[in-house]
Amino acid sequence: MATKAKSQTLEDKLKRLEEVASLLDRGEAPIDEQLAMYEEGMRLAQECRTYLEEAELKVRRLSGEPDESDD
Amino acid sequence: MSIFVPMRDQAVSVSELTYAIKGLLEEGIGDVLVSGEISNFKEHSSGHRYFTLKDADAQIGAVMWRTRSLTFRPEDGMRVVVRGRLSVYPPQGKYQIDCSAMRPEGVGDLHRAFEQLREALRVRGLFDADRKKPIPHRPRSVGIATSQTGAALQDMLSTIHRRFPLLDVVFRPTLVQGEGAAEDIARAIAELDAAKLDVLIIGRGGGSLEDLWSFNTEAVAMAIANARTPVISAVGHETDVTIADFVADARAETPTAAAVMVTPITVDDLLEALDARQQDMTRTMCDRMEDMLQLAESFVDGRAARRVTERIHLRQQRVDELVSRSSRAVRHHTTFLKQHIDHTALYLTSLHPLAPLRRGFAVIERNGIVLAPSDHVQPGDTLTVQRFTESSTVNVQSVSDPTILPPPTPHHGNESEIPNA
Repeated sequence: MATKAKSQTLEDKLKRLEEVASLLDRGEAPIDEQLAMYEEGMRLAQECRTYLEEAELKVRRLSGEPDESDD
Repeated sequence: MSIFVPMRDQAVSVSELTYAIKGLLEEGIGDVLVSGEISNFKEHSSGHRYFTLKDADAQIGAVMWRTRSLTFRPEDGMRVVVRGRLSVYPPQGKYQIDCSAMRPEGVGDLHRAFEQLREALRVRGLFDADRKKPIPHRPRSVGIATSQTGAALQDMLSTIHRRFPLLDVVFRPTLVQGEGAAEDIARAIAELDAAKLDVLIIGRGGGSLEDLWSFNTEAVAMAIANARTPVISAVGHETDVTIADFVADARAETPTAAAVMVTPITVDDLLEALDARQQDMTRTMCDRMEDMLQLAESFVDGRAARRVTERIHLRQQRVDELVSRSSRAVRHHTTFLKQHIDHTALYLTSLHPLAPLRRGFAVIERNGIVLAPSDHVQPGDTLTVQRFTESSTVNVQSVSDPTILPPPTPHHGNESEIPNA
């Protein structure tokens, strides 16, 4: 079981979601654990969705020409 | 005005006069930018180049020292623009241009210079396919070198924002045409390369062959070739081809196309995949509920069935909680699962041995084991009859064919088919 760190990146969450989905798909765990996985999977998917929908482009700038360094 | 007026009695030496001329020309004219045609071009064994610049009515000597870099091989008859300083060479009493930079001017000459550089770089293997670095499938960061004011930058940023705003973008403003642009672009590539990003884009919008000339220089070609980061060249429009395009690891037809190349997976793709994943998981959970139904049907032991019923109720509660806590998108999926579990619970309740007992039916046991429909009863058997309110022991006197029709055997598969217990 992966630890549920608070600072999971989108990448981590997507990876865990795939893991949960494939475990669920295999169906070897007891039904209660499967339901817990289902719950975790739905939560992860929702967190990823919110993160993606709220993403804003950020542009970092290297200085370049001195006459253009007006930021 | 001058100390050299002829009326003056005292003669000056040739050197004095020459140095006076040198002072006048070098300080009075100094830096020049001259356009003309090359003639008498000679590259000395020392590496210095001597030639004459001329037009229809005049000519002037020119020298370009070995240390000054050239982006093409000058030939007699080529029209060029040179930048340099006017200087006087006293030993020969000659004035000439000391060239610091030279570029071809005519369209035909630009093409010729382009072909020359392309051939030279090709021979050095800079265009070889096995040198090309693959563009990452899912870059996390991109470095962009282009003009701060050009449309190319806006096109790229708006495309990245629309497709995948999570991409880490580092922008290095550069000159893209004119004096010093090639060197600036080369420096920008080196700086972005040092920033250890996943991929770089260099480019600018469309323009004339002359406007795009910086991207046809050895300086930019070498900077691309030396970069450890994959470089996408996005110069001009579809039809514009530059040396940078040949050396780069990938060529994009436009800056917008380059932005698409570095965002192969979009936010919309990911949202769609998440939705599909949620649907898959919900369908899987529904399947598990179906499996539980089948399992429950196979139980004849009342206590086991009761345990299953209890577990189903627990699950109902947990799904209820999940539905109430989740957002609308998740609710859409989980509500479906909840209905399925509710249905399972209803069915299992009907399977529960207590349910028919409440309605007057009885459970018949022999030696503590519930009689299955296939078991046969013999006269003289002692049976226990379990009713809702009491239990009794009876002796069988006789056995005959059933006097009421048995109910149809319950078959699972159709959800509306709840058997009469």
